[in-house]
Amino acid sequence: MNRKEFLSDCGKMGMAGVALSLFPWLESCTEKAKQEVHGEKARIGIIGTGSRGVFHIKNLLQLQQAEVVALCDNYRPHLDDAAQYYPKAKLYEDYRQLLDDKNVQGVIIATPLYLHGRMTIDAMNAGKSVFCEKSMAFTLDEALEVYNRRKELGSVLFIGQQRLFDPKYVKAMSMIHEGVIGDVVGVRNYWYRNNDWRREVPSPELERHINWRLYREYSRGLMTELACHQLQNGSWAMGMLPEKVMGSGSLIHWNKVDKRDVYDCVTAIFTYPNGVNMTFESIISNKHFGMGEQILGSKGTIDLVTGMHYTDEPMPKGSGMHQLVEQIERGVMSNSVFAGTSWAAETGSTAPGMPIMPNVKVVTGESSVGAEADGSKELVDAFLHAVITGKQPEKVLEESYYATQFALLADKAMHENAILTLEDKYRVPYVPLGSR
Amino acid sequence: MKDIVIPAAVVRREIIIWLCCFVAANIVNWVVIIKFATPWYEIFSQIGYVTITSFVFYGLLLMLRAAWWLLSRVFKK
Repeated sequence: MNRKEFLSDCGKMGMAGVALSLFPWLESCTEKAKQEVHGEKARIGIIGTGSRGVFHIKNLLQLQQAEVVALCDNYRPHLDDAAQYYPKAKLYEDYRQLLDDKNVQGVIIATPLYLHGRMTIDAMNAGKSVFCEKSMAFTLDEALEVYNRRKELGSVLFIGQQRLFDPKYVKAMSMIHEGVIGDVVGVRNYWYRNNDWRREVPSPELERHINWRLYREYSRGLMTELACHQLQNGSWAMGMLPEKVMGSGSLIHWNKVDKRDVYDCVTAIFTYPNGVNMTFESIISNKHFGMGEQILGSKGTIDLVTGMHYTDEPMPKGSGMHQLVEQIERGVMSNSVFAGTSWAAETGSTAPGMPIMPNVKVVTGESSVGAEADGSKELVDAFLHAVITGKQPEKVLEESYYATQFALLADKAMHENAILTLEDKYRVPYVPLGSR
Repeated sequence: MKDIVIPAAVVRREIIIWLCCFVAANIVNWVVIIKFATPWYEIFSQIGYVTITSFVFYGLLLMLRAAWWLLSRVFKK
């Protein structure tokens, strides 16, 4: 999807103007913004050309403003794979050499989590615009350091929170801010998979290098790799940040197969100042429920993943004749037990719901790399625009910052077996998404 | 093959019976409009359902009449 298609989608939603006033980072998707950079190219270097790096490269190939001039990876097979897409790009095995390359204007960092903070700061110090994959950093302190350094330098910094650019999320959040589902009373996020989360390792000494996600030395596991995407839903919907965090995590299945030390089963609860809870649950040894993100309101529910709106309001009852027929049917079909239970299971609603916009593109969440139409391409496109213009979009960084901080805080709560609040020193100015 | 001839009097009688069923179905419609507090324009908008209901009534009546005719024949013998 290009900018035009994105805005066309927004237009179909009848919300382009509203969305731009509520969510100003979408400004870079407008026709006006496109004209601003017409004919110009952003010269990009990719640091980390593994699966996610190549996913970005494939998107960049389709974007007019992109010119990949440098590639970097310290694992040669990945670097050579990426070079096939951009044969003219300079190849580096040390990211610092790429940062010294004056031809590179902006970098996309798709490396293991423990490198994000250091590489982002080094890149900003080298005068580059930076797009770094989520999560923003490995620790709470490091995330703050990145945030502050960007503020000092005024650099362009994007973090890979692509939902902010996914039309169905934008539409859903607009509806929530308009009060379509009433007061937000709960936020449910879950992400279930049934796979070992491993990449193929050609030789045993490369295990930690390639499967870094599985080791706490390099990753915070499910919280930083999956939850980080979903945790912004609550803040985006309610316009506030969680007050306290608690959670529990354990290794219940995949540790029988390998020597990983990150949890394969986590549950976290985030409580907001108004008392509303947001939950995140992930299990990677059962995939029945897949990925889900639901905003529960006093008048209805919006499923962000499927782009469906379900109302809790009573459905129109139909004509008198319909109601009569229904009453007769109920009479005929009713259970005539004479000493049955007075309790009936409160099963979920089977109401079919309404799509929030035409042609909703549903992403399953099964892929560990990325998916079509999940907002990633629009996010990278917006980054290219920012590289050329040097303008940092409003609010996006703060949202990414807090998504990272709360993912890390929940991980900490799990390991310390404690209920935690984000210390004041980690709080940066926050203008809620959706506030005008 | 022999033609089946339905006398005009029978046709008239059946039409009158169906019209009675139609009136009865309309009465049912008025009753449910009052009972379920639905709008009065349903007198017209539900005319399709009312017509179907009238045929249901007519069919039920036909079965009753057939049963009556059979029983009366049995007792006559």
